Amino acid sequence: MTAPAAAPLSDKTASRVASVEELRIHFDTKAGRLHAVDGVSFDIFDGESLGLVGETGCGKSVTARSFLRLIPVPPGTYAGGRIHFWSKEARQTGGSPVDLLQVPASQMRDIRGNRIAMIFQDPGKALNPALSIREQVAEVFYQHRSEDLLDGWNGTPPRPIRRAAGQRSGKLEWLAFKVPPLRSPARRLRKRVDDLVGDALAETQIPNPRKIMTSYPHELSGGMKQRVMIAQALACNPDLLIADEPTTALDVTIQARIMELIRELQLRHQTSVLYISHDLSLVRRICDRIAVMYAGRIAEIGQTRHVFHDPLHPYTRGLLAAIPSLAHQRGELAVIDGTVPELIDPQPACRFHTRCSYATDLCGRLDPPLVARPGLRPVACHGYASPDELGVAADQLPRLDRDAP
Amino acid sequence: MTNLRDDPVGAATRAEERPVITLRGVKKYFPVREGVLQQIVGHVRAVDGVSFEIRQGQTLGLVGESGCGKTTLGRCIAGLTDTTGGGIYFRLSEADRMFLDEMDAVGQDRQTSEQQAKVESIERAHRIDRLKGETWRTYRRNCQFVFQDAFSSLNPRHLVKDIVGRPLRVYKEASGTDLTERVVELLESVGLGRQHLYRYPHQFSGGQRQRISIARALALDPEFIVLDEPTSALDVSVQSQILNLLHKLQQDRGLTYLFITHDLGVVRLMSDEIVVMYVGEVMERAGAQELFASPRHPYTEALLAANPDLLEGDEEAEMRGLEGTVPDPARPPRGCKFHTRCPVATPRCGWEVDDAVAWLSDNSTILEGLGGVERSSDFESVLRFAEPGTAAEAESLLASAAIPDAMRAALVELDQDGPELRIRFEEVDRVRLEDVDVGHMTSCILHTSQADLDSRP
Ligand SMILES: Nc1ncnc2c1ncn2[C@@H]1O[C@H](COP(=O)(O)OP(=O)(O)O)[C@@H](O)[C@H]1O
Ligand SMILES: Nc1ncnc2c1ncn2[C@@H]1O[C@H](COP(=O)(O)OP(=O)(O)O)[C@@H](O)[C@H]1O
Ligand code: SF4
Ligand code: SF4
Ligand SMILES: [Mg+2]
Ligand SMILES: [Mg+2]
Repeated sequence: MTAPAAAPLSDKTASRVASVEELRIHFDTKAGRLHAVDGVSFDIFDGESLGLVGETGCGKSVTARSFLRLIPVPPGTYAGGRIHFWSKEARQTGGSPVDLLQVPASQMRDIRGNRIAMIFQDPGKALNPALSIREQVAEVFYQHRSEDLLDGWNGTPPRPIRRAAGQRSGKLEWLAFKVPPLRSPARRLRKRVDDLVGDALAETQIPNPRKIMTSYPHELSGGMKQRVMIAQALACNPDLLIADEPTTALDVTIQARIMELIRELQLRHQTSVLYISHDLSLVRRICDRIAVMYAGRIAEIGQTRHVFHDPLHPYTRGLLAAIPSLAHQRGELAVIDGTVPELIDPQPACRFHTRCSYATDLCGRLDPPLVARPGLRPVACHGYASPDELGVAADQLPRLDRDAP
Repeated sequence: MTNLRDDPVGAATRAEERPVITLRGVKKYFPVREGVLQQIVGHVRAVDGVSFEIRQGQTLGLVGESGCGKTTLGRCIAGLTDTTGGGIYFRLSEADRMFLDEMDAVGQDRQTSEQQAKVESIERAHRIDRLKGETWRTYRRNCQFVFQDAFSSLNPRHLVKDIVGRPLRVYKEASGTDLTERVVELLESVGLGRQHLYRYPHQFSGGQRQRISIARALALDPEFIVLDEPTSALDVSVQSQILNLLHKLQQDRGLTYLFITHDLGVVRLMSDEIVVMYVGEVMERAGAQELFASPRHPYTEALLAANPDLLEGDEEAEMRGLEGTVPDPARPPRGCKFHTRCPVATPRCGWEVDDAVAWLSDNSTILEGLGGVERSSDFESVLRFAEPGTAAEAESLLASAAIPDAMRAALVELDQDGPELRIRFEEVDRVRLEDVDVGHMTSCILHTSQADLDSRP
C-alpha cells in the first residue's frame, strides 16, 4: 500500500515517542560475549511508522524486546545505552522522557501493554490455548482499563464490583456475584466487558466478533489469531506499537490484509509503529521511514522512498539487488558474497568489510559511525566521509559510486 | 515403447519438449479419523484432480498458499507417497498421452481388446505406480527431491560424506576412494569442497545445508528434481546464491525442475511455465511471462495484488489482500473452489448451503436460534429454527443486500414455513481447466465457455 503522508518525518521539531541511543545488548555464550545489539541509535517520531529491516540474527527482535525489558538476564546484559520514551502526557506538556532501561519494575508493568504494545510473529504461541478469546482480550481491559469498565455507572459502583473490574476479587466475592444484591451489577460489568471486547475485535474487521469471542485459539486460522493479537495490542490505545514480523507466518493474501489493517488502525489512532521485518518489499508498503540493520548495527536510516531509490550503504544496495524482481534475468541475481560475521567479541571494524566490494584498509580497522553528513541522510560507511573528518588521505577512503547502486 | 531408456516416440517431438513427468487427474486424499475407534469420517482432498506435464530441461513453477497441496503433489510425483486416483507417468510421449485421454473418453467398456492391450502396455511402461524392476529403478534414480527444511532432512549424526555418498552406495555406483572422489566432485558442483567432507550438518549455515541437500539430490545424475520451497527458510542474500546455483546446475546438466514455492517473485524468476494451485486444484497454468502480464484467473490476480512489487509501475500500486480464509480441504466448496473469496464471483460459481449457513452465522441471534440443517444435497436444505420469528429473520437476511449479489441470484428457492426455512441453490458442475490461449489454461468461468453467463437473471 502506498504510504499516505501521515507523519511528521525527519523534521527536527517533530516530537519523538522514543529515542534509542547507543543501545548495547550482549549475551554470554560458551564461545564468548555475543554482541547482538552493539551501539544502535534511532528515533521514532510521533505518529510515524518506522521499519526496522535486516536479515535473520541481525538483532531486530533483541532491539524490540529491550523496549519492554524482555531480554532474559542472564545470559543477556543491557551493556549500555538508553531508550527514552515520551508518554502522551510528556509529549503534550513538554515533559521529560523516561529511560525504559531504568524505570522501576512497577512502572514497567504499567508501560507494557498500556503505553507500549507488542505483537509477535507467531500469534499461536502468544495466545493462551486454554482461554477463550473473550477472556484473553478482556484481560487487557481488566489490567489496563479498569476505569473504563466502570464508565456510565450512576454514582460509585459497589466496592466488590470495583474490585472485580481490577481483577482483585477473592473467591468469596465471586460466589457473591451469583446471588442478589450483587448479581445484577456483576452482570452489568460482564456486559460492559463483552461490549468493549466485541468493539475491539470488530475494529480489526473480524467477521462476527461475538462468535469469535466464544472460540478458543485452536479454532481460529493464523490470520484470525493475528487479528486477535492486534485487537489486544490496540485495546488500550498505546502510544507505540511494536510489531515483530507480524505476518511472516501468514499467506500472502492474508498478510496483505493484515498489513492494510495495521496501517489503517495506525492512521486512525495516530499510533506510532515500530515495524520489524526481514522482508524489504513488505516494509516498503507500510513504513514512512526505514532503518536497515546489519550484524547488530544500523547501516542506514531514511525515508522509505529514498532508501529504495538511492540506497547509500553497500549492504542495502546488495540486499535490494538480491530480491527477485521484474528486472532480473534467471541466474543473474545479485549475491552478497560470504556470510554474516561472528558477533562474538567483534573487532573495531566495519561489520560489513569482509563482504563489501568497496572495502579499503581503513574499513578493517575503524568502525564507521552512523552520521548524517551535509546533504545526506544518516549512513554508517566510510565511503561518505571526508578525508578531514577521519584524518586520512583521500585515497584511503572507499570509492562509492553514488549514481550506480 | 516398453523400454524406458530409449523411448522412440520422444524423438518425434522436439527433444527439449519431451515430457519427463505427466500428470493425469492426480488425486491424493488423506483419511480424517475420529473417535475412539478412529473411524474414517471424511477425507482431506489435498490434491484433487491435477493434470499437467513437465517438459525436458524446463522448470515448472508450482505456486499457491500454504495447505493447497503443493508438497503432497511433489511427494506423489517423486514416488514418496502413493496416489488416491489418476496417474503419474514418467517419460510418457504426447502421442501416448493423447491416446490415453481418448480412451478415457471412450470408456473402458467400449474399448476394443486391442485398445485395452495398448492402454495396459503404456501404463506398465510409464505409470510410476505400475513400474517394476529395472524401469522402477530408472525412474527412482532419475527423480530426486530437495526438501524445504534442509535441517530436518539431513541426518544430524551422519557426516556430509555419508549423506551425499549414500545414494551412490545404495545404487552400488561407487565405493571406497572412488566414492569419496565422487562426493568431492558433487560438493564442488554446489560450491562446497573437500574440506567439508568430515563435518556434521549442524556445523553449516542454512544456505550451506541446502547446498548439501542439492549435492545429495545430484548424486545419481538425475533427469528431474522436485524442489520443495528450497529457499523459503533462507534470507534473501542467501536465497539469491541458491537460486543462481540451481540455474547453473540446470544449464550444465540439462535438469528438469518442479519448483514449488509460495513466493511469486521467486517463481516468476525461476520458471518457464507456472501452475497456480488452490485447495488441491489447478486454477491457472501459463508461461511465466504470460501469467504475470495477463493473468486470466481472479485468484492469480489476487496473488499478484498482494505482491505489487511484481507489477509494472509498482511504485504507486496498492497492496491488496483477500478477505476470508482458505476453505477446509476436507469439505471443499462446490463449483469453483475460489467462490467463497472471489471478489468477482458470479451466480454460476457454485453457491451452496454452506455459504448460506456461513452468512447466517454472522448474525448471533440467527446463529443461536438455528437448530439444525437438513440437507438433501449440497445445494438444497431445510434450516430448522427454534422460533418462526428467527426463521423469518434468516429469510429476510438472505434476501437482503447484506448478502453478495451473486449468491442471492443463485438462490432459486427461499421459503419460510413456520420455524423452517427451505433454501435451494441452482446446482452447478465443477469448473474445468480450459485453454484460453496457446499454452494458457484457466478454470475461471469468466474466461472460458463453461457457463452461459448471459442466460442468468
Ligand atoms: N536468549 C539469547 N541467548 C543467546 N543469544 C541470543 C538470545 N537471543 C538472541 N540471541 C542472539 O542475538 C542475535 C540477534 O537475535 P535476534 O534479535 O533474535 O535477531 P533477528 O534480527 O532475527 O530478530 C542472534 O545472534 C541471536 O542468536
Ligand atoms: N500426512 C497427512 N495426513 C493428513 N493430512 C495431510 C497430510 N499431509 C498433508 N495433509 C493435508 O493436505 C493438505 C495439503 O498439504 P500440503 O501438501 O503440505 O500443502 P502445501 O505444501 O501447499 O502447503 C493440507 O490440508 C494438509 O493439512
Ligand atoms: S565502511 Fe567500508 S566496508 Fe563498511 S560498508 Fe563502507 S565501504 Fe564497505
Ligand atoms: S469461476 Fe471465476 S468468477 Fe467464479 S468464483 Fe471462480 S474465479 Fe471467481
Ligand atoms: Mg526476529
Ligand atoms: Mg509445503
